[in-house]
Amino acid sequence: MFLTLKKYALIYREFFATCLAEATSYRLHFVLLIVMDLLFYATTLTTVDFIYQHVSAVGSWDRHQFLFFLAFLLTVDQLHMTFVSESFWVLSASIRNGDLDFLLIKPVNLYFLIFLRHIRPASMLLCSVTFFLLWHYGVLAGLSTIQFMLLPLLLFLALLLLVSIEIFISASMFWLVEGTGVNFLRMQLQQVSRWPDFVFYGLPRRFFTFVIPVLLIGNAPVQFLFSPFDYHSLLFMIVLIGFFWFMIELTWNKALMQYESASS
Amino acid sequence: MSSRRLMWIQTVKVALSNLLAYRVNFFLLVIGPALVFFFVKYSLWSSIYEQQGNRELAGMNRETMLGYQAMVLIVSLLAQGHNSTRLAEDIRLGRITAYLMYPFSLFEFHASSFIALQAVQLLTSAVVFMLALSLGLFAKVNLAFIGQGLILCCFVSILWFLIQYCIGLMAFWLEQTWVMRVLFQIVAQFLSGSILPLEFFPDGLRNILMYSPFPYLTWVPARAMLTGEESLLYGTGILMFWIVCAALLARLIWKKGLTMYTGAGM
Repeated sequence: MFLTLKKYALIYREFFATCLAEATSYRLHFVLLIVMDLLFYATTLTTVDFIYQHVSAVGSWDRHQFLFFLAFLLTVDQLHMTFVSESFWVLSASIRNGDLDFLLIKPVNLYFLIFLRHIRPASMLLCSVTFFLLWHYGVLAGLSTIQFMLLPLLLFLALLLLVSIEIFISASMFWLVEGTGVNFLRMQLQQVSRWPDFVFYGLPRRFFTFVIPVLLIGNAPVQFLFSPFDYHSLLFMIVLIGFFWFMIELTWNKALMQYESASS
Repeated sequence: MSSRRLMWIQTVKVALSNLLAYRVNFFLLVIGPALVFFFVKYSLWSSIYEQQGNRELAGMNRETMLGYQAMVLIVSLLAQGHNSTRLAEDIRLGRITAYLMYPFSLFEFHASSFIALQAVQLLTSAVVFMLALSLGLFAKVNLAFIGQGLILCCFVSILWFLIQYCIGLMAFWLEQTWVMRVLFQIVAQFLSGSILPLEFFPDGLRNILMYSPFPYLTWVPARAMLTGEESLLYGTGILMFWIVCAALLARLIWKKGLTMYTGAGM
């Protein structure tokens, strides 16, 4: 077990080193990535701030609670962009041009190779900004020390659910000739997840809670933080993570059978 | 029919068949994002207005807000669908060498793709408009206002195409141009009133923004279609000014870029 962990840690260190070397070769791209993320934070937070200039509450949340929720999701988003996001874009290209062959023959876990291979060092730098926002709005929302201590675990669970849903969906790339559209679908699901669940009603709310549960990504952990006795959503989220990994095993086995290895 | 016109028609036809070759992908790439964006805003504003007892916010009641958001969807489908991914890829992979020798320039080729996309988007937005109308999202529809908004949308789409073209040409210098495209998208969505109508912006910021092209990308055409309050002549004049600026910039970038071009990837 220890040897396996050590092996994967060493591989991951190599992944990081190559990604860092690549990122620093294109310095303007590196800077633009940082500017892009900063602008995204600014517009997201300002949108909600402008809304609260006209209303005192949205749902049951005041300005600080809503901004804390956004900071939580921005942090999940930032971690996702740093460690996983790029790999999904590479996957669609790899399936199309047959580069996936090289990953399939390696004696390393396939999910590890596909989804953790590409890291964005520029986004990693900005994690500090989102952590600061999380702390800042957490203080304004009145979070206690214990609630702050729970944050890393909740962030991890939120990221894990998001990635699990996305890996499950990305299996469809094997059936579609062009997988870029699936990546755009992922981005649209992320957009839905960035709003509180009480904004949605009826069928859409049920769909995004039970079928493609993107609304749980931010809502379940944040609602648990605001009212710890409301832990049912969080438990459901943990069950769903397990369920999605079961489904991933099923669908990915079928999906790989569809792979035609375009290059060979 | 002149051979030039025939070239344009044939290239548009090829672009059209390319667009529709992967229909699921086209839907997920171009139509899906606009629909999801609308769905989120519709849900958000419905929820906010319900909580506020349908009182007016920034001079807009529930009906005008939902009508505005539906018009934003129409404008974004009609005028903001084009992107320059293909152009950037062509430059990066050295494929534009062929266009330097063809009697049909790279700009003309991409303008043909733009025309093909507009034809599809015109049909899509007509369907979406009828759907929105049947769902009662527009309190009242004035055909003159709609016509006025459509004319503005034509100019917006040309400006959007030229901006995207400039971004695509940046591939002469940048390894990847998608960051520039997303950057522009983030700024344009926020400052053009796509997310929040400009009525929700502080007065000072709104006044400054009116000197930029952003409000004319979404807020002005959407309001023109809804209320007819925006002057068509003034709006088209401003858009024409920015179109000329963008065209000159594209020409400049192209000239400078060609001096950098090595034809790598041939």
